[in-house]
Amino acid sequence: MLRELKNKVFILYLIISAFLVLFPLLHILFSVFANGIPVLLKFGMEFLTETLPAPNKPGGGIFPAIYGTFVMVFLASLIGIPLAVLAGIFVAEYPNNALSKATRSLLLIMMEFPTILVGLFVMAIIVLPLGSFSALAGAIALSIVMLPYVATYTEQAMRSVPQQYKEGAYALGLRKVRVVFSITLKIAKKGVVTGLLIGMAKVSGETAPLIFTAGNAWRSTGGALEPAGAVPLWIYYLVQQPYANYHELAWGAAFVLMVFFLAIFLPIRLSMVRS
Amino acid sequence: MDKFKIFLLPVVGLVFGIIILMLIVFSLNSIPIFQREGIAIYTTNIWKAGEVPEEEFYGILAAIYGTLYTSTIAILISLPISVGLAVFISDLLPKKLREFFIIPTDIMAGLPTILYGIWGIFVLAPSLSGMMKFLYDNFSFIPFFSYYNPTGFSYLSAGILLAIMVTPFATSLIREAYMAIPSIYREAVYSLGLTRYEATKVLLSYIKPAILAGTLLAFGRAVGETVAVSLVIGNAFNIHSSLFAPGYTISSLIANQFGNAFIYEFMPSALFSAGLALFLIGLVVNVSGLLVLKRWGYA
Repeated sequence: MLRELKNKVFILYLIISAFLVLFPLLHILFSVFANGIPVLLKFGMEFLTETLPAPNKPGGGIFPAIYGTFVMVFLASLIGIPLAVLAGIFVAEYPNNALSKATRSLLLIMMEFPTILVGLFVMAIIVLPLGSFSALAGAIALSIVMLPYVATYTEQAMRSVPQQYKEGAYALGLRKVRVVFSITLKIAKKGVVTGLLIGMAKVSGETAPLIFTAGNAWRSTGGALEPAGAVPLWIYYLVQQPYANYHELAWGAAFVLMVFFLAIFLPIRLSMVRS
Repeated sequence: MDKFKIFLLPVVGLVFGIIILMLIVFSLNSIPIFQREGIAIYTTNIWKAGEVPEEEFYGILAAIYGTLYTSTIAILISLPISVGLAVFISDLLPKKLREFFIIPTDIMAGLPTILYGIWGIFVLAPSLSGMMKFLYDNFSFIPFFSYYNPTGFSYLSAGILLAIMVTPFATSLIREAYMAIPSIYREAVYSLGLTRYEATKVLLSYIKPAILAGTLLAFGRAVGETVAVSLVIGNAFNIHSSLFAPGYTISSLIANQFGNAFIYEFMPSALFSAGLALFLIGLVVNVSGLLVLKRWGYA
């Protein structure tokens, strides 16, 4: 009797755990939808094309934030992806080398590393010498955050390529460089692209690395050496303001950010289920 | 050594260089405050910014305390439900339904942290404040509930938000280890006629290292999380036993104070030394988590 009772209580505990994990997620998604959609309907297309309104004034939008996010994610990809892919290739191609093993551990540590410290670091080496916040500094911080994700995905994709293809290529007399870039990387393309997208989706939602590097821009859309806004950064500052219309903008921006994230993440994740 | 390897070496060197340079930058920038205050920067709870450098004095003990307090709350909440969900998915659900529960946790793990932040500041903290007032009014003799006039912005709110954020990560690590238990063991346990509860208890003891690693890595994440925490913790220099008191964490202190730090002579250095402490805490926790995974063959 007691054994069965314990068993029942245990199963109840399992079900409650599942509920307790999933409920907050659903509540967050629901809150962002429920608060964000009315804002977008109210502001209309202007929400995506206008700049920050004055406090408690109607209208306005989050264009400088969207612009800044695109510029910085683009620059970060330009800087980070080549580095990350090459590092991933090194770890995959020389798996038993002591340096490769150390690199693999380092990449895992970098993934868990507090991103605010990356921001502080880039501030010290880029922002202070240049004398100003800039999109470039923000992009460099994002590229450091992105690097371990892209490198790890590249490594795994490269290692999943069957040995026979490589052996065939070597048998034809190709050099290692050609084998890696023309054969292995081509076959591993899908996995590598997944890594790139995951990395880009990840950094487009990052706030902490940008606070002390990108600065912020509420109404201007400048070049790489000028301060830049970003969608997550805007939300972070807007929710701390006392004005109701700024809170509305923050919810709208959160909705845009969430849709953007889900649009990249869900197809990738669902394609993993199928394969 | 082949040419290709020589071509790749500088890239790998650069990756290591970034981390080493980071440690150097944080150490060098911490020197002024160490020279001035010594270890007191980590052992006192004083935050005095002054026009004249002689008046300045900084101690970040409150932030260190808050970091450990909130992360501990997060782990205490997260660990039991992480294990519960892992067992629920692998034992109770039919194979076809598993993905319906795994995909949402993956979404949660990747969701931009600022979305947790906006939910925390506008939904979680206000809804917790009512419960806090009730517990304070009736049970304030218990130290955990003893903070006068709680606002909802507190260690507890930060801890709960962190628990929500780190659970998907911890549960997927534990689930993968649990599902990887060789079926021989499962069959052996059930052949003894054990109930599900008894069987699971035995099986879970088999993956203790993975649970320990999951706990350490989740703790490491909680320690480093910045924006969501800084929006709900209340940002006050406070060392209080109550769950309902506002406080600071190291990362929220940096996020909050660095903006105007350069007006003062020693504040930037004080904040870099806070960053150094975070760097080292994060490194120790994460490296031990990864070592546990390696030692027992999970990674």
